[in-house]
Amino acid sequence: MAGELNAAAVRPESLVGAARRNATPWLLLGPACLALVLLFVVPIGYVLLLSVTDPRLSLAHYERIFTVPVYTRVMVNTFVTSLIVTALCLVIGYPVAYVMARRAGWVSTLLLTIVAMSFWTGFLVRTYAWLVILGSKGPVAGAYGALGLGKAPQLLFSTFGSTLGMTHILLPYMILALYAAMRKIDANHLKAAASLGARPAAAFREVFLPLSLPGVVNGSLLVFVTCLGFFVTPVLLGTPRDMMISQLINQQIEELLAFGFASAVAVVLLIATCGVLAIYNHYAGLDRLWG
Amino acid sequence: MLPVFLAVLGALFLLAPILVVVPMSFSTAISFAFPPPGYWLGYYAKYFTSEEWLEPTLNSFAIALGAMAFTMLLVVPAAFGYVRYRFRGKTLVNLLIMAPLIVPHVVSALAYYGFLGRAKLTGTLLGVMVAHGMLAVPVAFLVISATLKGFDQNLERAAMSSGAGPFRTFVHVTLPVLRPGMLVGALFAFLSSFNEAVVSIFIGGRGAVTLPKKMYESIRLESDPVIAVVSTLLVSAVVLGVLISTFLRRRSTHAA
Repeated sequence: MAGELNAAAVRPESLVGAARRNATPWLLLGPACLALVLLFVVPIGYVLLLSVTDPRLSLAHYERIFTVPVYTRVMVNTFVTSLIVTALCLVIGYPVAYVMARRAGWVSTLLLTIVAMSFWTGFLVRTYAWLVILGSKGPVAGAYGALGLGKAPQLLFSTFGSTLGMTHILLPYMILALYAAMRKIDANHLKAAASLGARPAAAFREVFLPLSLPGVVNGSLLVFVTCLGFFVTPVLLGTPRDMMISQLINQQIEELLAFGFASAVAVVLLIATCGVLAIYNHYAGLDRLWG
Repeated sequence: MLPVFLAVLGALFLLAPILVVVPMSFSTAISFAFPPPGYWLGYYAKYFTSEEWLEPTLNSFAIALGAMAFTMLLVVPAAFGYVRYRFRGKTLVNLLIMAPLIVPHVVSALAYYGFLGRAKLTGTLLGVMVAHGMLAVPVAFLVISATLKGFDQNLERAAMSSGAGPFRTFVHVTLPVLRPGMLVGALFAFLSSFNEAVVSIFIGGRGAVTLPKKMYESIRLESDPVIAVVSTLLVSAVVLGVLISTFLRRRSTHAA
């Protein structure tokens, strides 16, 4: 203790310097952290609070979510739909990302341009486009008529329509995540495999595919988590029969003014999302998802 | 050849539905019929003259600009503090900054509905601006902190040792080098607000209808064909933006 005091007395400027070094990052980060706590964490905390206090203090809302069949079906449906959309995005997106990463020149540039265009086009524009395509006066129904197949099946306001729309909207996220991982794969690995006698298919299976797995995990996680909370597209293209969690939240506050129950549903969605991300964080570290 | 074929199919799946909105915007049909029965410019005239659509457009621009300014004001110093200093609780700070990206938008929307409702800020431009500003923090932070990490601090040391003070160094060396990254961060913040739908739908009320909210309501309630015009204008803006950025990137890689 005395030694420390002496040292500080001998070199006062170093102590001031150390204090300033510690204070500067907080001065810089302070406004952002304060704003995030007051204007983001507190509102979310309010949702947590409402979920157990509105209209009275109890866990009844959570009990209802997991025991009333209508609500358990919403949970299961959201989960299954998100899995299907993730799988579809992976299957459709993988070849696109593969060609983008492996081909040089205009093919790659063209694909990247198309992916970027669809990435930046708003959800509502794309949802509207599907409304036209799948509608009763749309091109699909028209093709059915022209080919003499009779009346087209109901595509809009169906599970099919909403799944297709969500897949289309989330596909760019998957492709960009895959592409980011694939671009890092050294082409020499594949050349080495070829020179050791591997056919292209075998080189792909044994070398490229395993090296692209981090991208597969990142892309799948991004798509899955976004899909869990998807709102606009399922409302506009789907049916109330296969409601997703976010539709349930909206319905509860819009039609029933049931804030407590809506909050409990939101908390379940939040916990599910954080759970999935926590598993990822445990194995890979969240920084890699955003990096 | 198979991968290229599949990739082309995938790209067509991405692109074709978006292009459908272009002929739709010139259609004479009152409902969503495709192919259009006839072509005219009537709905363009309607878009550019009706208060009902122009007001949400202006709202969207105003909110996105405000949210962008708010985000940048918070994020630029925060990114400097985060990247250049070591301190306790860094992981927690990172989690806090990323939180708006982790929490599903519909949960944030519900939270703001309750919180801003209490403050009587639902249905106001300010309320949506604040909410969008917070939601844009992670995106802007990722872009700007990445730029900062790539910044060679020797440039600053060189300026300082040549006699420039900290302020002059910041204005004449640090800022110009970081400007492109800052602009990209600001653009991302702007677009994050401009395209945001869920929070707007929940808290926009009657007083702060944004373009995505208006489109959502127009599809849900009335099927107004003007939505095709809006969509076409938005797609054109995206196409233009992406082409410009591709061109700029190609030019910069050729130069280097």
